[in-house]
Amino acid sequence: MSRTAETALILVATGLAGLGTVLVNLTQGSGFDAQVVVTIAAFLVGFGGLGLATRRFAPAANPFLIPLVTFLAAIGFTELYRLDPSRAAVQRWSIVVAGGVAAAVLFALRTDGVAVLRRYRYVFAITALGLWMLPLTPLGVEINGSRLWLRLTVPGTSTTASFQPGEIAKLLLVAFLASYLAERHESLSQMRRSIGPLLLPRPSQLGPVMLAFILSFGVLIYQRDLGASLLLFGVVIAMLYAATSQRTYLVFGGALVLGGGIVAFQMFDHVQRRVSAWLYPFDDFTGAGYQVAQGLFAFGSGSLTGSGIGVGRPDLIPAAATDYIYAAVAEEMGLAGSVVVLAGFALLFAVGFGISVRSRDVFRKLMAAGLVLVLGIQTILILAGVMRLFPVTGITLPFMSYGGSSLIANMVLVALLARISHEERT
Amino acid sequence: MPALFLNLLKLIFLALLYLFLWQVARSIGAHLGTARAPMRTRTGAEILIVKSATLAGSRFPLSGPLVMGRSGEADIVVDDPYASDLHARVGLHDGEVMVHDLGSTNGTYVNGRRVTSPVRVGKGDAIQVGKTIMEVR
Repeated sequence: MSRTAETALILVATGLAGLGTVLVNLTQGSGFDAQVVVTIAAFLVGFGGLGLATRRFAPAANPFLIPLVTFLAAIGFTELYRLDPSRAAVQRWSIVVAGGVAAAVLFALRTDGVAVLRRYRYVFAITALGLWMLPLTPLGVEINGSRLWLRLTVPGTSTTASFQPGEIAKLLLVAFLASYLAERHESLSQMRRSIGPLLLPRPSQLGPVMLAFILSFGVLIYQRDLGASLLLFGVVIAMLYAATSQRTYLVFGGALVLGGGIVAFQMFDHVQRRVSAWLYPFDDFTGAGYQVAQGLFAFGSGSLTGSGIGVGRPDLIPAAATDYIYAAVAEEMGLAGSVVVLAGFALLFAVGFGISVRSRDVFRKLMAAGLVLVLGIQTILILAGVMRLFPVTGITLPFMSYGGSSLIANMVLVALLARISHEERT
Repeated sequence: MPALFLNLLKLIFLALLYLFLWQVARSIGAHLGTARAPMRTRTGAEILIVKSATLAGSRFPLSGPLVMGRSGEADIVVDDPYASDLHARVGLHDGEVMVHDLGSTNGTYVNGRRVTSPVRVGKGDAIQVGKTIMEVR
């Protein structure tokens, strides 16, 4: 498949975003108007622009990444526009900015490639830590009980912009881990003593696991963010497993999550509230269980093909535009629509892991795998939360939820994957 | 807007979503197919990695000279602390598979004997680069 076909697919996905906007307008009684044109323009500049940047700076890159991302963004945007046109207008700017930032990353890496990132691993590790802690300083603000945001006032005006530095920190963490593990994977994988089929790691080999555990527990305590905490720990464990192919790390990681989860449940009422809302959403229907229950109603009333875009009542779900966007999709596009979203994500991850498998050195392999894991763990955590398979974790659904920081970080992530896939054959 | 019309639009939109994804999935299949095709043809000789930290089990078809080493520029990048950046080359000369050592620090071994000048190898011979062991098939 050629770059031309890639461009065609990006254009078709952009058309889907435009069509979705038209459908919302039709049901709200206005029809074809400027909103449609602006939406198409934003998608063309953001995603089309990133496609062109790939052609220029990473011509051998995998041609499916950007079309799949555009497709997911088109579905998410349609639902967001239906829920809240003013937020959708902000999101359009985010798409344009995210495309630009991702293209700039491709430009910066055009000669040296991702290998150059290995040099800065400790800078990345320290920066990531700093970014994670930044919201705890007076610059940070607390929203919905979690302290994850920075609110900055644009100089000279009263406009404020919120930003989640943790989103960028995830990428730096992956770059650090990939570079660290590319060097240490051998010493981390050699284990001699064993209990039955389970190999026992030496205490020094458990160092990274314990460190990651303490950090993620810190995130849980101080920022009260269950999702970021699980994501951080999950990425570290999964990358350790990818680098060493020792199942021991999965077993120990799983045990730590379980143990940590039980302790957290005993100690913190914000964790308790989430767990009880998950297990018994109807016991406290008007309180803690309201969001979970409304999400379930949305899935139920969506049925096979949904109520139709703009016809259902997804606006009843709290946080429908951000964490619960998938429930809104399930209500208005039905089982058919929610399955197509799952399939889109599945294809994206398959393409990503394929890039990792085909890469020719350990650093690139781990980097690609880590990037896909960040996307994958987020997607699974929030989808499982919305579908009530797991407590709601308050993570955005990549590319679909409303949110600028997360979109920018995830587009940069895709640009890095594209660059790695370009290098697999040079 | 009449409900029937809206219903129709809804179904058309869903159908388009599926068509798009179907098209992408099909192209991914075709993409993998073309990427694999040149590997299956050719002379038949290939290098199978028997023992390696990262590449064990991979096969490299011998359609042209293959350079193995630790450098990212090598055709077979072995992640092996005992291998040199560009360690050895396996090439075809008049239909014979030849192994050349490229001045490596720790040497290249064919069936346990150090390669000093280019050596002809055949199917079943073992080539060792650092701690990585390969078999000609």
